[in-house]
Formats: sequence, structure tokens, C-alpha cells
Amino acid sequence: MLNYVWISLLLIGIFTAVGRDINDEVTNTYRNGVPVTAQFETLKQRTSVRPTFDGEIILSAVAFDQFYNRSSAKTQQTEIRQPAILTTLSSGKQKLEIPISDATPSFWKEMAKAAGGKDKLEAEIISFDQGKKEIVFRMERVSFVKIKAVTKAAIEFSDTAVTISLGLIGVMALWLGIMKVGEAAGLLELLTKLMTPVTRRLFPDVPPNHPAVGAMIMNIAANMFGLNNAATPMGLKAMEELNKLNPKAGTATNAMCTFLVINTSGLTLIPATVIAIRAGLGSADPGIIIGTSIFGAACATTAGLISVKILQRLPKYKKELEVDVKDAEVKNG
Amino acid sequence: MVEIFRSVINIISALAIPIFIVVFLGWGLVKKVKVYEVFVEGAKDGFNTAVRIIPFLVAMLFAIGIFRASGAMDVVVYLLSPVTNLIGMPAEVLPMALLRPLSGSGSMGLMAELMKTNGVDSFIGVLASTLYGSSETTFYILAVYFGSAGIKNTRHALPAGLIADFFGMLGAVFITRILFGV
Repeated sequence: MLNYVWISLLLIGIFTAVGRDINDEVTNTYRNGVPVTAQFETLKQRTSVRPTFDGEIILSAVAFDQFYNRSSAKTQQTEIRQPAILTTLSSGKQKLEIPISDATPSFWKEMAKAAGGKDKLEAEIISFDQGKKEIVFRMERVSFVKIKAVTKAAIEFSDTAVTISLGLIGVMALWLGIMKVGEAAGLLELLTKLMTPVTRRLFPDVPPNHPAVGAMIMNIAANMFGLNNAATPMGLKAMEELNKLNPKAGTATNAMCTFLVINTSGLTLIPATVIAIRAGLGSADPGIIIGTSIFGAACATTAGLISVKILQRLPKYKKELEVDVKDAEVKNG
Repeated sequence: MVEIFRSVINIISALAIPIFIVVFLGWGLVKKVKVYEVFVEGAKDGFNTAVRIIPFLVAMLFAIGIFRASGAMDVVVYLLSPVTNLIGMPAEVLPMALLRPLSGSGSMGLMAELMKTNGVDSFIGVLASTLYGSSETTFYILAVYFGSAGIKNTRHALPAGLIADFFGMLGAVFITRILFGV
């Protein structure tokens, strides 16, 4: 199933991006080539040393939304006052440079991002009447916005994946070291024995005294207390231990799937991240969601455990775990 | 009652890691384990595990990245919006609920935005934080955990995980409606 979900994410993503870009091109969402008329208030005159006018483009939000053919109220300001710099190039042409700031309407911010230069938009000036303070300009072309975003995301996210993985080295080493001491001291074995009544039912294929059980218990306990830093290394250690019992390398065992579902269901006694964010946003009672979160996660865990136990009995999934008879025969000579 | 529970939990989570270290290493000392040597021996595997999950995580995250950047989520939200009305979930929350299993940071951003625009303690604010707090980034966990064991065929883990996510969402909507609903 992961195969199909994975390829669907990719294909749906790319086709949607292409479709949206074609739509933008046909309806000219970004008004490429269409001149904009606005007021220009000069704040700093041109001098002999500085051949530019600094000023502000003034445009009512209604006119802005009308120009870009957007439903009104999307632009939050009632009047757009956008700082801009007017330069005369050596060729005699005049250029308008619009630096992106907080005052910039969000639509122009999007366009700037799509145009490549993150911090400014450029426009060609058609006419500028300093007396009447009227300026007519044509924005630079913006096209293939979504396809560019998709390309950028593909590269950036691959990068993020490596950053995340390498970032795990430190905590991994720390917790694996502590776990190893616990193992050598027999502490994990003790924990494992205590929890046997539970683990025997959840993971019938794993011998109750196997090191994987200890790691799984530690992982689940760490998750419960919201210790994400400790939970992941212990979970990965548990997976590696479970893999030692795997008859077919590269294929998930029933115990692995059960363990994974417990983890993805996210059962925790304190959702620390959410509480911190709620407190930061000024909630009167940030911890109010503890009870509801536990309820939600308990529903997820129950449903997950039931479905994992049902699904593992389906012939399709059973077959995938069977060791290939031919391979086994070759091994046995 | 809830107050006591919360403060007990808070104390435990603050003290857990120090206690953990003391108990584990202290027990080792009592049992005459060569603690330093054994610790280093175990820590050695940290690097290998981290490096082993790289290809799995790259495969997963770049697909999710493309999906999110394309704006395909808007289309999915549009297609699924009739269903949200059926289960009593406000339409604004749907994008966040759908993004939750795919991206932790992405859905966190959407959650914060929902709380800012609708009020932290409003029904939508509480529902969004409950949805976030009651589930995990399924696809990320799948990639990292199976990656560490070199598992490529994940069998029924993903369907079971997604069924769990779906019922978790139903449970979160149900309980929030009962306790904080209008």
C-alpha cells in the first residue's frame, strides 16, 4: 500500500501543479503584461549623486483586488502604501523596484517568491508624471509558480530529511548508551518480566524475554510522558531488535506493524508541544486539551490495534511474510 | 482531580530523564557493570542507525514536500468537505486534520493559525489542538522506524496506521463537541 500512496503523493502533486499553472496562464492570474496605474508619492527627490526617486506607490485595496480579479476583502489593508525605488537606467528606460516588506500585499509577496527574487519585485515604468503624482508600470512576468514551487520543495525536503536524520545521531548515541548499560545490568530484563502479561498478548510472535520487548516498553513509556527525544532512539532500537527475529529481510513482521501502530496512534499523557503553543498564544487554560487528547489518542490506539490484528490475518498480507520456498530450497542445497 | 493529575504528570515529565539516567547508570554501578565502557559501546550504534534511515526519510519527505507545494491539498479538502459536515467537524479544521499524518511542522503551523484567527479557547481552537495532540506524524514515523530496520515492504502497517488516525480524528471531534461544543 505504501507504494501506491507514495507514488500518488508524487503524481497528484506534480499534475496538480501543472494544471494550476496552465490555469494561471490561461486566465492570466498574475496580469502579466497588463499596466497598473497608481499614485506615486515621492519621499526623496533624485539628486546628482543618487539617480533614484524613493517613494511610495499608493493604491486602494479595491482597485488592487479589481486589477488582479480577486474577490474583495482578501487584501487586508484598505489602502496599499508600498515603498518603491524608481531608477533611470543608462539606456534611458525607467525601472521600478519594489522591496518586499510588511506593508506589501500578500499577493505581491507570493508573486515575488514565484519570480525568484525573494525580497523584491521589479517593474518597467511606462509613464511617470511627477506633477500629477501618477505612475503607470508593468510588473515583471510571473509564470509557472506551482511547478517552480514543486521543484524547490523536492530539493529542499530531501535536504531536510538528511538534516533530520543526522540530527538524530546525538540523542541516538546517548539513549543507546544508557540502554546498553540497563541491558548489561539486567534492568531491562526486570522491566520486561513485569510487563510480560501485556506484551505476550500484543506481540505473541516475540519471545517474552527478548531484548526487543524491553526496548518497546521503554519507547512506549517515553511516549506516554511526552519525552520525544528519548522515545525515538528507543523505538528504533526496538525495531532493530525485532528485525533480528525477522524470517524475511526487508519485510515487516506482525510484531513490527503492531509496534508501529502503537507509535503512530500517538498515545501520550501530556501533549507537551500543543500545550506550549497554546500557552504562547495566550490561552486561559492551555492544558484544557489534555483530557480530550488522551481520549482521541485512545480511540486511535484501540482502532489501530484491532485493525492491525485483523489485517495481519488477510491472505494478502500473510503471503508477503512467507519465505520464498525456492529461496529456502536453494539454501538447503 | 484534573489539576492533581496535571501537576503529577508535569513533575514526572520534568524529572523523568534525570531519574532515568541515575537509575539506569546507578543500577549498572551496583551490578558492577563497567558503565563507561558499556555506554560507549552502545552509543557507537547511534551513527549507523541515523545514517541508515536517510534514504527512507528522503523518499518520504520529498514526496510529501511535492504534494504540499503543489497545492493539491486544496483539491483534496474540496473533495472531502461534504464528509466533514457529516461528522460535525468545522470545514476550517479539515486541512489541518488531513495534513497531520503527513507533516508535523506543517500541521502545527495550521493549528497555530486556526487558534489565532478563531481564538485559542474557542471550539475550533480546542478542536485543532486536540487533533494535533491526539495523533502523530504517521508517515514520518513509518519512514524512520522501518528505515532503521531496513524494511521496504511495510505490509499492513500503513493501512492500520491510517485507520487509527481516522478513528482518532472521529474520537477527537466527538469528545470536543461534547465538552466544548456549542
